[in-house]
Amino acid sequence: MTTETLHLLMPEIVLAIAAVTIYVAGAFVASRAVWSWIGLGASAIAAAVMLIQQPQPAGPLAGDALGQLIRWLALGVGAMLVLTASRSRAPDVPEYLGSLLLTVVGLMLVAEANELILLFLGLELIAIPTYLLLYLGRHDAAAEESAAKYFFLSVLASALLLYGFSFLYGTTGSTDLGAIAARLAQPAAGQDTLAGLARIAMVFVFAGLGFKIAAVPLHFYAPDVYQGTTHLNAALLSVVPKAAGLVALVRIGLLMPGLESHAWRIALALAVVTMTYANVLALWQYNLREGREVDNVDELAGLGQTSPVVAGAIAVCLFSLAGVPPLAGFWGKLGVFAAALDVQPAAGEPGGLRIWFIALAVIGVLNAAIAAAYYLRVVGVMYFRLPLASPKSEGGRGARFAAIACAVLVVLLGLASGPLFEACRRASPNVSAQANGAATVRERHDWPVSNTAPLRSRLGFSLAAWSSFPSSRWCCKMNVPQTRNPGPRRRPFILCPRNEREPPP
Amino acid sequence: MGNLLLATILLPLAGAVLAFGPRRGARAVALAATVAALAMAGTLVFRYPVGASGEFAVFDAAWFGADSSIDIRLSVGLDGLSLWLFGLTALLSLTAVLVGWESIRQQASAYYRLLLVLETGMLGVFAARDIILFYVFFEFTLIPLFFLIGIWGSSQRRHAAIKFFLFTLAGSVLALLGLLAIVLWDHYHSPAGQMTFSIPRLTENLAAAPIPTGVQLWIFAALFAGFAIKVPMFPLHTWLPLAHVEAPAAGSVLLAGVLLKIGSYGFVRFVLPMLPDATAICAPWLLGLSVVGIVYAALVALAQSDIKRLVAYSSISHMGFCMLGLFALNPLGIQGGVLQMVNHGLATGGLFAIVGMIYERYHTRAIADLGGLAKRTPRLAAFMLLMTLSSIGLPGLGGFVGEFLILLGMFQRAWTAAPPAGALPLRVISVLALSGVVLGAWYMLGLVRRVFFGPLREPKRDPAEPPVADLSAREVMALTPLAVFIVWIGLQPSFFLDRMSPTLDHLTGEAQRREVEVTADERGWTQMDGRAQTTLANGWHAPRDEGRGISANHALRPSGRATLAFPLSHPRPSAFIRGSTLLRTTTTAPLTPTRTKP
Repeated sequence: MTTETLHLLMPEIVLAIAAVTIYVAGAFVASRAVWSWIGLGASAIAAAVMLIQQPQPAGPLAGDALGQLIRWLALGVGAMLVLTASRSRAPDVPEYLGSLLLTVVGLMLVAEANELILLFLGLELIAIPTYLLLYLGRHDAAAEESAAKYFFLSVLASALLLYGFSFLYGTTGSTDLGAIAARLAQPAAGQDTLAGLARIAMVFVFAGLGFKIAAVPLHFYAPDVYQGTTHLNAALLSVVPKAAGLVALVRIGLLMPGLESHAWRIALALAVVTMTYANVLALWQYNLREGREVDNVDELAGLGQTSPVVAGAIAVCLFSLAGVPPLAGFWGKLGVFAAALDVQPAAGEPGGLRIWFIALAVIGVLNAAIAAAYYLRVVGVMYFRLPLASPKSEGGRGARFAAIACAVLVVLLGLASGPLFEACRRASPNVSAQANGAATVRERHDWPVSNTAPLRSRLGFSLAAWSSFPSSRWCCKMNVPQTRNPGPRRRPFILCPRNEREPPP
Repeated sequence: MGNLLLATILLPLAGAVLAFGPRRGARAVALAATVAALAMAGTLVFRYPVGASGEFAVFDAAWFGADSSIDIRLSVGLDGLSLWLFGLTALLSLTAVLVGWESIRQQASAYYRLLLVLETGMLGVFAARDIILFYVFFEFTLIPLFFLIGIWGSSQRRHAAIKFFLFTLAGSVLALLGLLAIVLWDHYHSPAGQMTFSIPRLTENLAAAPIPTGVQLWIFAALFAGFAIKVPMFPLHTWLPLAHVEAPAAGSVLLAGVLLKIGSYGFVRFVLPMLPDATAICAPWLLGLSVVGIVYAALVALAQSDIKRLVAYSSISHMGFCMLGLFALNPLGIQGGVLQMVNHGLATGGLFAIVGMIYERYHTRAIADLGGLAKRTPRLAAFMLLMTLSSIGLPGLGGFVGEFLILLGMFQRAWTAAPPAGALPLRVISVLALSGVVLGAWYMLGLVRRVFFGPLREPKRDPAEPPVADLSAREVMALTPLAVFIVWIGLQPSFFLDRMSPTLDHLTGEAQRREVEVTADERGWTQMDGRAQTTLANGWHAPRDEGRGISANHALRPSGRATLAFPLSHPRPSAFIRGSTLLRTTTTAPLTPTRTKP
């Protein structure tokens, strides 16, 4: 822990101090506004510090463009959620804001971590405040069930992840990702079992991180938890742990020399199974319980007329999620599909892998179209139906501002995605260089490429993909007007397949 | 000129920003914007140099990624193909704005804004020179139309809007995969390291170094999914009648007039030039689907009791003619197909506008409720008759020229060029297509007779209300430009064809023309192995086939190589090419600058 490390961690430190202050002083000052302003102020200071920083590798910190990109994302998401919470009616706002800031710190640590222990620390810093958040805000059986469920499964996932890390440490004798990569790339004589153990580690790491990103078959907590908690929490859950899980996957899973082929195969299978399974289930529920589904979305009927600005923001975000150009989500879709098509068979490779990736692309686009059905239904309800009551957004000015900011960002990034692409492009070659040196990427990679540019573009595209999705996803969630009576009607309705064993009405 | 083109595309968007406030202000802004856009588009059309096959009015700027390996550009331009569809869009947008002038009262400013945004999207689709920009506009047009159908449509509008959106989206994401595959293929096989998304450059590159047939077939399947849904081709047409019937009049005008053309435009712009082998292999199947669509939709139209639904099915039938012409793969058919796109846009756009005017007066679309309207509304009846006659192909009107060229091309392919063996399916297709013309005349004239002639029959009205009025000046203004162009195309088709054909030859020359290199020794063709010789003997033996469509240059060179050029109107040229081990196909592009293969 050197001064450079501390200096680089300054934004995180600022946010952590703010969080602790809010926790402690929240017992004495009950004003919502004060804590919201402090949370926003801390985020602003952290952003200012990050602006003047010159990131470079320091100790356990990667200090690369990928880390910077994700840190900015984390700060932005944090600030938006603080804004959204500013008018929350819940009495425990200080606890909520403190936990929120800590999860943001956790995500920023994960983004930066180049070392197993720091990575784990970051992931836990996301998970533990989340347990608290799930208990806040709502006090009914469903909320408690969802919190307990998330808690137990998350602890299990952390244990799996840690077990995987222990294998990595055991085989290489280091917790530094660079050192691990180097050792795995050039195993010493007589260490043939090393690769086998590293494979076991990979399975555990995938299992642990798969929980964070709710990939099938580790997804089953998601519908229950999302339904059982508030919109704000669902928004948080759908962004922060997933972003963290994906960064960790990029850092560990996909860049281990010699193991990319296995890693890619696992990731590919996970991706295909996850999107198809979730979509099919959702479609099934949509058809079988349409009557009740409609009832659930009814609250939004006519929002397009009663509060056009909020409805417009939600619609923009939904279209972005559906991947319609020229919104940000389109470029994500484009990047992912281009990346999947871009896979070239290696010289020694039978070429089968390429077919699988093309199949992934086709399955992916079809899933994108299926998913658009849900998004469109919501848009349809907002605009094509007469208002039943008089729905209006109840999040207050903060939430409204956050929603509009999101929609504007989605449009701007869609029209001029240059900066985002540039950031993602810068982020990606560093990732590959970190693992095994840019020069060796070509031979080691599952598919050698004619030059490094496509590789960079591929990774860059993928990063662009998921960095542009979350903001829109979460904006849709939090502006849903909430009915007065807490209960099943307050659950978020987008993106979470309905509970498979939902209680009878 | 490039700046003028860009301004034309962006002008409606600027109008959309300004069209706020009450109904009167918004619609005045919309009218001003569409009239100005039409004037500018007209300038571009009339300035277009006759006989040019290259591009015109190009505007090109970096969009993003210029400094990296990916270069996605903000690049627009016109050529002989896009020029007409661009002009058609500007023309029909004016009609669309005027059609809803009085009837749209709810959320009028939003309505006009969406119309103007839709116009920008449609203009952009046809002008885009960058594959990603094309796709952005292509999918973007879905959003305004989705809202137009969903908010201002009739009773089943929600269902129609979502079905329309999802059908098109599902197809277009697959088309996106196909387009990306083309870009990536070019990237890996071109000497320059940069990834180009430029449509002209891709066309040129792929002409010089074509994609292998197997890969082409996969890409063809992906692009077919996107464009065939849009056209729509049987059996992917099921979204269209619903969307048309539920959409407001302006939505129907633009959907039938312009948006369907994006599908057939996609075939001419991407599929024929970039995937010539796959086109040649699949052409018979597409011809079959087209003709099934023509006859099936015509029969369904005959059975309709709703005017709008009838016109919607006639639209499917007529778009089948366009596709038939395009996949006849000879100059006549392709020119006819493209001209028919314009004709269909004018006539069917006009028909939907007229149906909207009838609905505005009587609040019914049922044929049984109406009769003898020519007595009540003679001007409306006159326009209806003109559009109908063009639509069924009366000589002297636009529709005739298009349909005639298409059928001529198809018959040429089936009779003149092809050898007797294997031509039977093509001949059956040609004859069935001809029957589609007869069926078209039957249902369209039947519609006109029942609704406009015979004893006057109107839905019951409040006796206190004044009787239904004939077309107002505003409505005449909406229909007159369409009528003018219908007559103009009918009387002077050369004006349009001369500006169109060089570009079409340039674009589709690949798919039409091909050279086969055969290895042989001085004794002629006998040196080939059994398979090749069989194939050649199947009507394509060079000495025998001179004058039957083969321009043979079989003078043997000392190397023992001969070049044999033949048109792809052979019923199964692909089998001919693929089934012979000694034959090697190379594409030549006489009209494009050639490039050595890497």
